[in-house]
Amino acid sequence: MEKSRSELGQIVVGVSRDPLGLMGLIIVGTIVFCAIFAALIVPYDPVGMNIKDRLQGPSFSHLLGTDQLGRDTFSRVIMGGQVALKVALPAVFGAMAIGLTLGMIAGYGPKWLDNLLMLFFDTIRSFPTVMFALAVVALVGPSLQTVVVVVMATSIPTYGRVARTQTLTLRNSEFILAERSMGASMKRILGVHMLPNIIGVLAVLAAMDIPTVIALEAGLSFLGLGVKPPTPSWGALLKDGYSLIRQTPWLVVGGGLPIILATLGFTFLGESLRDVVDPKLRKQR
Amino acid sequence: MKIEWTKAAMGRRGFLKGATALGASAALPMGLANQAFASDDGVLRVRAYGDAQNMDPAHSVGVVEEEVHSSIYNKLIQYKPGREWDWQLDAASMIEQVDPTHIKFALRDDIGYTNGHGAMTAEDVKFSFERIIADATESPNKPDMGPLSHVDVTGEREGTIVLKEPFAPLWSIALPYITGNIVSKTATEAAGGRIGANPVAESGPYLRASWSPKEKTVLKRNPDWKGDAPEWDTIEILPIDDENTAEIAFEAGELDFTRVSLGSVARYRDGVPNGGKLLEYPSLYYTWLGMNLDHPKLQNQKLRQAIQHAIDVPTVLEAAYFGAVEPSTGIIAPGLAGNRAKSMVPPQANFEKAAALLAESGETNVTLTLDTLNKTTFTSAAQVIQATLAQIGITVEINVLESGAFWASGDNPDLQLVLNRFSMAPDSSYATAWFTSAQAGIWNWERFRSEEFDTLHAQASQEVDTAKRAQMYERAQDLMEESGAYRFLTHEATPVIHSSRVAPALRPDGLALLRYFGKA
Repeated sequence: MEKSRSELGQIVVGVSRDPLGLMGLIIVGTIVFCAIFAALIVPYDPVGMNIKDRLQGPSFSHLLGTDQLGRDTFSRVIMGGQVALKVALPAVFGAMAIGLTLGMIAGYGPKWLDNLLMLFFDTIRSFPTVMFALAVVALVGPSLQTVVVVVMATSIPTYGRVARTQTLTLRNSEFILAERSMGASMKRILGVHMLPNIIGVLAVLAAMDIPTVIALEAGLSFLGLGVKPPTPSWGALLKDGYSLIRQTPWLVVGGGLPIILATLGFTFLGESLRDVVDPKLRKQR
Repeated sequence: MKIEWTKAAMGRRGFLKGATALGASAALPMGLANQAFASDDGVLRVRAYGDAQNMDPAHSVGVVEEEVHSSIYNKLIQYKPGREWDWQLDAASMIEQVDPTHIKFALRDDIGYTNGHGAMTAEDVKFSFERIIADATESPNKPDMGPLSHVDVTGEREGTIVLKEPFAPLWSIALPYITGNIVSKTATEAAGGRIGANPVAESGPYLRASWSPKEKTVLKRNPDWKGDAPEWDTIEILPIDDENTAEIAFEAGELDFTRVSLGSVARYRDGVPNGGKLLEYPSLYYTWLGMNLDHPKLQNQKLRQAIQHAIDVPTVLEAAYFGAVEPSTGIIAPGLAGNRAKSMVPPQANFEKAAALLAESGETNVTLTLDTLNKTTFTSAAQVIQATLAQIGITVEINVLESGAFWASGDNPDLQLVLNRFSMAPDSSYATAWFTSAQAGIWNWERFRSEEFDTLHAQASQEVDTAKRAQMYERAQDLMEESGAYRFLTHEATPVIHSSRVAPALRPDGLALLRYFGKA
């Protein structure tokens, strides 16, 4: 425990020393903080309508103005962040967990199982994510859960393939062969010896995948197929802003800026994490 | 050839100079455009919301193609520009209803087809109309011709249109709209009976000079046109789907005429850039909240009536349409026979009455879904309806659907509430046609079934007495509203803007009649 705590500390220190990593950490920290404490931060009910105050510009009472139904845009942006993370985190970590498990089984198991799982990954990957998402949403209807499931399903092959490659690389390494010769069970080899060597790479991948998922959720909401109204969402804000851009530019700013910041923040953090976790890259820098 | 690059080396100052020059040059086209806007180059530039891809009236998909067809072809009669629905002679020098099923006509003798296909004759009229109703043509516009039997040719330029039964929409839809375009028999037959993306022979005041798909359709004045000369030498029709984009193009001087979004009306009421003008026309479209009468959750009429009374139409329209439209009283717009002076349920919500009706219904913990299109206007309206129904304790979950899924909802048995909008042609029968029992589960998404309604619809389309017709359509809408399955919202509106050099010619619903566009 002590050891893992110090390793985590080293990673945080490593990321903080990199200017881009620090920036990423601050942005991501802010987004996560706002999402967790959204209910305390928002000055207005994000779904409360006040039509006579619609499409106002920024002011002290409405920092980012109001939308077409007179709802406070700032409050909707903050609550939209909660929705974005509610989709992104379960989707990415769910996909990572399933992909990791299947990838390790594919890499360590018999050849026929490897082939079967690879066929499964390739089949899923052959569907364009957005088209697949649109088809599923059209079939079962739009909801937060639908978006999470779609994103998770389409992301599994990415994690699975990386986990499989890492497992294949490790399975013939000396320390694994030594464990095997001492009669260690497959569960122990995979769980205790291989997993810690794979998880870092996947964590970096996950960090860099989060903005993609946020953008996908925003994209579906932009098409009106993400979360259901009146739930606030960055994509829905952007869509309304696009429709009403001649009336007010602030909805586009309110919907677009957080997506840009989240994308930059998670990407910076992911790249920095990769540099810290991968000693080869660290040496190159 | 050897190129010397040494002089191209650029320092910071050089870069800044270059960037400034580039910025200035970027601003130049706007200036030039504005100049072009002000000068009269004889070119009228109008926006269409889609691309006219098909030059065959039998296979026209609507207004976008009709804008081109009505300029390059002729009809016996054309819509008359103005605020009241009326028609005027076009290719016909005379047209007369001799009895409820026979219409005599005579053609002008000065209309000819291009590409050597000769003068327009009654045979062309017969061919054009009869091919619409022929099964072999598979025309989606066949219903517009109603009970057309055939056309008798009685002379080179004379004939009689024969109907199987009286058909009032002949004068408001069949003859002056899509199906009324008269194509050349010889040219169409030579083309194998079907006209494609290019016209085979034209006869109107304009000829289609060029078509760049998704970019531009260019109409040029027909040099052989003997009728009243069109005022513009050239009309460029630019397909621009998005109204915001069209507004920006207009303000940049790239367009002379466009429909604008309802959200922009208030801004344009204060002034249209470049000396242009805003014109506000009522639309024929109708928008309403429907309730599926076959759904187990909506069997209780008191519940449906509670929903009718709980929806505050003015608030919905203020939120979704920026107050630029009026509440409707039914499915038939003002100006058409059967428009009701007022609806049975007033537009304003009556929450006390709604709550009382809900209590009477005995329904508790009512949770319903509301399906709507993924357009900001409809999602805004849906959210207001959701909020107002919550006031009487009805929980609404909004299902936003993309257009493909939404328009396939007709046979969805799980449909509960639906926010819907239908387009409309200028005859009342076009509205009632979709709510007959035969249409249940097809376009009648509410599954409203009424024998009396069906009879009224059938009789009204054959009734030539306008007053009697109007009475029938009014009663038909009463029946719809009494069922509790409908809360009528609005007919929307058609706001258009035009530049100072244009005198637009529009139908009473604001749609452009390009051949009649004049110069200011």
